[in-house]
Amino acid sequence: MDMFTLMSGLQLTCIYGILAIGVSIIWSSLGMLNLAHGFTFAASGYGAWWAATTFSKSAWVVFGAGISTGALIGIVIYFVAFLYIHDRPNYPIRALIATMAINLIGVQTLMWVFGPRMKPLPKVFGSGVMKLGDVIMTYGQMGTVVCSVGVLGALLIWLGFSRRGLEIRAVMQNPEGAALVGISLRTTALWVMALTGALAGLAAILLSQTFYVSPYAGLQPLIKGLIVALLGGLGSIGGAMIGAVIIGFAEAMTAAYLGGQYVLMVQFGMIIVILLLRPRGIAGLLDEAREE
Amino acid sequence: MNEILSVSGVSAGYGPLRVLHDISLTIYRGERVGLVGLNGHGKSTLFRTITGLVDWQNGSIMLNGVQIGGQRTQGPGRMTHRIARQGVALMPQGDAMFIGLTVRQHLDAGAFTRKAWSERHKRRERILDIFPPLRNLLGQPVGKLSGGERRMVTLGRGLMGDVKLYLVDEPSLGLAPKISRAVIDALINVDLADGAMVIAEQNLQLLEGCVDRLIGMHGGEIKGSVDTLSLHSEVG
Repeated sequence: MDMFTLMSGLQLTCIYGILAIGVSIIWSSLGMLNLAHGFTFAASGYGAWWAATTFSKSAWVVFGAGISTGALIGIVIYFVAFLYIHDRPNYPIRALIATMAINLIGVQTLMWVFGPRMKPLPKVFGSGVMKLGDVIMTYGQMGTVVCSVGVLGALLIWLGFSRRGLEIRAVMQNPEGAALVGISLRTTALWVMALTGALAGLAAILLSQTFYVSPYAGLQPLIKGLIVALLGGLGSIGGAMIGAVIIGFAEAMTAAYLGGQYVLMVQFGMIIVILLLRPRGIAGLLDEAREE
Repeated sequence: MNEILSVSGVSAGYGPLRVLHDISLTIYRGERVGLVGLNGHGKSTLFRTITGLVDWQNGSIMLNGVQIGGQRTQGPGRMTHRIARQGVALMPQGDAMFIGLTVRQHLDAGAFTRKAWSERHKRRERILDIFPPLRNLLGQPVGKLSGGERRMVTLGRGLMGDVKLYLVDEPSLGLAPKISRAVIDALINVDLADGAMVIAEQNLQLLEGCVDRLIGMHGGEIKGSVDTLSLHSEVG
């Protein structure tokens, strides 16, 4: 495997990981398969682009705008697709349809407001390459990796040690038990949606260092995020991270050796095989304790 | 005001099914009450009604003079966290566990008020003194524990908060007799302060001499209440 493939694999791994963890946390704590995650992603890109063209091209402005747009869209999805319908029968199906609708309407709205032309984001990490021994990295790749590892690390620490993080994990494991220890599902859900929205916003900025912002920019990342979350076992953060490594490198290697048109085929083939062998995904291997 | 919980005229159930019929009972401060009755006669449903987990309910449930149940029916569990925050700790049958969390996290989850959270280390130590076997298991995920250890975690979790009313559902269910004895003893040694405890139990012998009063349930109705003194004289 040459260095270029390795680097792009690493970069994709980070971005898919961020998205998949969002999908996975939402699914297990809210029972919602969030198909509007792609819209959150695209809208965050536009938020960042708008702030960059209106105010300043500094990295802080771009990141701040992208992440807060993401969180805001997450909260909108919470109000539309969670708050009023979450205790109705068949909520997962309703949520699936509602988020799909949000995605379609949202993407068309972006198209209507900003037009179909792609927009470039400023290079927030600067342009240039850096050499570590015989490894050559662009600043964009470097920044993506450092940024995602830092953010995911902080997220894991926060989930593990803060009260709010404990509440989110408790709701993921057992909503009824969580209610019995005074944890509000609706408040926790609001936090989850804002947080995962912010993560999608971050991923949008990172991916837009290589690609452009466009109304449909969210579709591919959404599919990849869902694949990774499924592969990792929905609801498992560790599984999602390992799944992201597998899918990210599979994509980079397929593109390098077989050709870009086979990427999705190989990825879906892989998850079909893995889910046939391990129905609960990678998480089935990680869990020390079985659920009853 | 000496009563902590007063339930009057409560009916509740799931969907079209009516499980509780016109229940009325009062629990006073500082007392331990045994709720006895056969399987499927509404003990757990009564607890789930008090904590707002049933599909529907009507009637009045007052906790410390505040209405926590009754007329309005929302989705099941929607008010539960508020009721829990007012000081009702339900230690459910089957242990409503967070399988993947460790024992330590589990106990911390029970410390839901700001005060309890800031005191969580001290309170955790207190729980570990009550249930010494948990001391070595603090880092273990709860899913790996045995039934008895899980029950201790559930009870310990309930003891972490600032609780006024403990509702303990079948503490001996599925445990070996020796262990269930230990669990009941631990419950009896809990300092109630100005709160109260209701223990639902099928095994009358376990409760003997441990509770101040017994309430019988049958077919979703309260079938009378005796203090343990008169129970003894009837049995003897």
